[in-house]
Amino acid sequence: MRFGIMSFAHLHAEGFVGNLRAIPGLELVGFSDDDTRRGEHVAQTFGVRWFAHHEELLEAGVDGVIVCSENARRRELVALAAAAKVHVLCEKPIEVTLADAEAMRDACETHGVRFMTAFPMRFEPSIRAVKGALERGELGSLHAAAGINHSEIPKAHRAWFADKALAGGGAVMDHTVHLTDLLRWYTGSEVSEVYAEVGNPFYPGEVDVDTAGLVTLTFADGFFASIDCSWSRPTSYPRWGHLKMELFGERGAVRVDGFAQSLTAYSRHLPRNPSWLAWGADPNQAMIEEFVASIEEAREPAVTWRDGYEALRVALACYASADAGQPVTLDR
Amino acid sequence: MRVGIVGAGSMGRVHAAGWKAAGAELIGVTSQFGETARELARVHDARAFDDLDTLLAEVDVVDLCVPSDLHHAMTLRAAQAGTHVICEKPIALSLADGEAMIEACERHGVRLFIAHVVRFFPQYRLAAQAAQAGQLGELGVMRLRRVSYPPRQGAASWFADEARSGGVVLDLMVHDFDYACWLGGRVERVFAKSVKMAHPDAPGDYVQATLRFEGGAMALVEGGWAYPPGTFRTGFDLAGREGLIEWDSDASESIQRSLLPGEPGTAAAVGLPLSVLAEDPYTTQIKHVHAAIASGEPFAVSPRDALEALRVGLATRASLRSGRSVAPAEVS
Repeated sequence: MRFGIMSFAHLHAEGFVGNLRAIPGLELVGFSDDDTRRGEHVAQTFGVRWFAHHEELLEAGVDGVIVCSENARRRELVALAAAAKVHVLCEKPIEVTLADAEAMRDACETHGVRFMTAFPMRFEPSIRAVKGALERGELGSLHAAAGINHSEIPKAHRAWFADKALAGGGAVMDHTVHLTDLLRWYTGSEVSEVYAEVGNPFYPGEVDVDTAGLVTLTFADGFFASIDCSWSRPTSYPRWGHLKMELFGERGAVRVDGFAQSLTAYSRHLPRNPSWLAWGADPNQAMIEEFVASIEEAREPAVTWRDGYEALRVALACYASADAGQPVTLDR
Repeated sequence: MRVGIVGAGSMGRVHAAGWKAAGAELIGVTSQFGETARELARVHDARAFDDLDTLLAEVDVVDLCVPSDLHHAMTLRAAQAGTHVICEKPIALSLADGEAMIEACERHGVRLFIAHVVRFFPQYRLAAQAAQAGQLGELGVMRLRRVSYPPRQGAASWFADEARSGGVVLDLMVHDFDYACWLGGRVERVFAKSVKMAHPDAPGDYVQATLRFEGGAMALVEGGWAYPPGTFRTGFDLAGREGLIEWDSDASESIQRSLLPGEPGTAAAVGLPLSVLAEDPYTTQIKHVHAAIASGEPFAVSPRDALEALRVGLATRASLRSGRSVAPAEVS
């Protein structure tokens, strides 16, 4: 199977190179990027063939691509890939408006290609173990959750994350989608109401997007959950951030930390001192393997366009709620 | 300083020890359950009193460790008798009652201290000092959590009777409302969600309140009686523009026991979130009160502070009822 990466705008693309190369029988054909400097840099650093135009990568013959562009440029790339009959694994949030997201679905349906949303935490072993525990009824019926997806401001790595036009928003756009997806997956229920406090307390004057958000989701079955999506970790933090949550049910509570499996390392040779070095499985590996398997087996991937769309819908509802100062209802 | 204690439950016992440590003269104890008063009096070589007025006639300070619905009436009686009043939190269950308590104490020239003991917990105090010294810069997002287990005796306990205790919101979360207001100032609006206990002995009462401060900061306050007996977790995360403080009770347990199971039901009837300390924070608090009364210096927590914490709690309850965000300024 032949694979490509469309755009290296998203930092995750760097890790995906190693993930793709680790899959036996998979050939990483190259990547496309219309940014010449980045293209040359990535080609040199990772030894991957660079295509200056996305069409050239697709013409080189690939079965699947991972779309790692800026949020607001995914529709364009997904449409190109779909038209070339290439299956798509798409970074999150899948786009910045619902209309763009719907157009992506339409393009994939028209050309008969698969679309998977890149929600790697679904493949993290501890997160999966909790899913299993919930399915076995260990917590009884589920009442509430408190979720945290903190990070440092990502603009140090990629400036566009804090650019409203390219990212569609800030911390809320970046970080509500992961936990929203996990909570939808855990509950099997859809979000019916969103309340959000949104602001820019951390980098006022430096960026024009939100850097903090406290979100409350209420699900159709009455379950509620908060998500703290703030870029509230300082750049001196031992890691980029974390994703964790506590779930409350009729039989007690379960806390899960998707990044707990790490060493604390103190070294002046590390970029962060101290550093939390992950030793657990890389969930991106299992995510990409699932995408590859879905192509080989000609079936829907475990995480679909719908999952990406519903999460985007919640993120956008957060901004609507913050504007109104009141909860907003999501119609079904 | 002659001190009398009203109520010989878990807090009455803790306060009695605090007064002894402060060097006050513990005159007597009264309780609606006569036997518990006699027992506590015996421990401290004090007298058991059959009624409040007899006790008031013999003391300079009365310490009200009684169910919250009794705070108002007893404070008024004590003020009338010319006795200084220490009263457990929340100050009262309504703003009108709280106002009347403050007014009565002012009119009769006695001091009123509401026992917001969290401000005397050393980790909370240290974090507040750091924040107030500007080490975190302007605060952006605060997270405060206080999740315990249902007070024993289930429905028979006054804690479980919302009309008497104010429930999780006014009994437990009021601690963190006070702390949040101490650091964040006035609250502009509150949005909250809760889940009710399925039955009295099951974990389940759990509340999340999102606070937005007039200054722009936000806070998530989490409270509950949602764990099985014996588990009481507290924690905070204070994120500012220039710094961050994290603290979690699990992470700073200085002693971890791995013993064969002992007596069943070893969890206290009402959980207290205590670390192993040279001096327990309840004693620190009582010593502060003792010294402030003796010197005439102001208390570290004013009755107006306590009233503000109550106001946020009442706004939380109003939001739970209406499903909307509520401005504490509009709560009556």
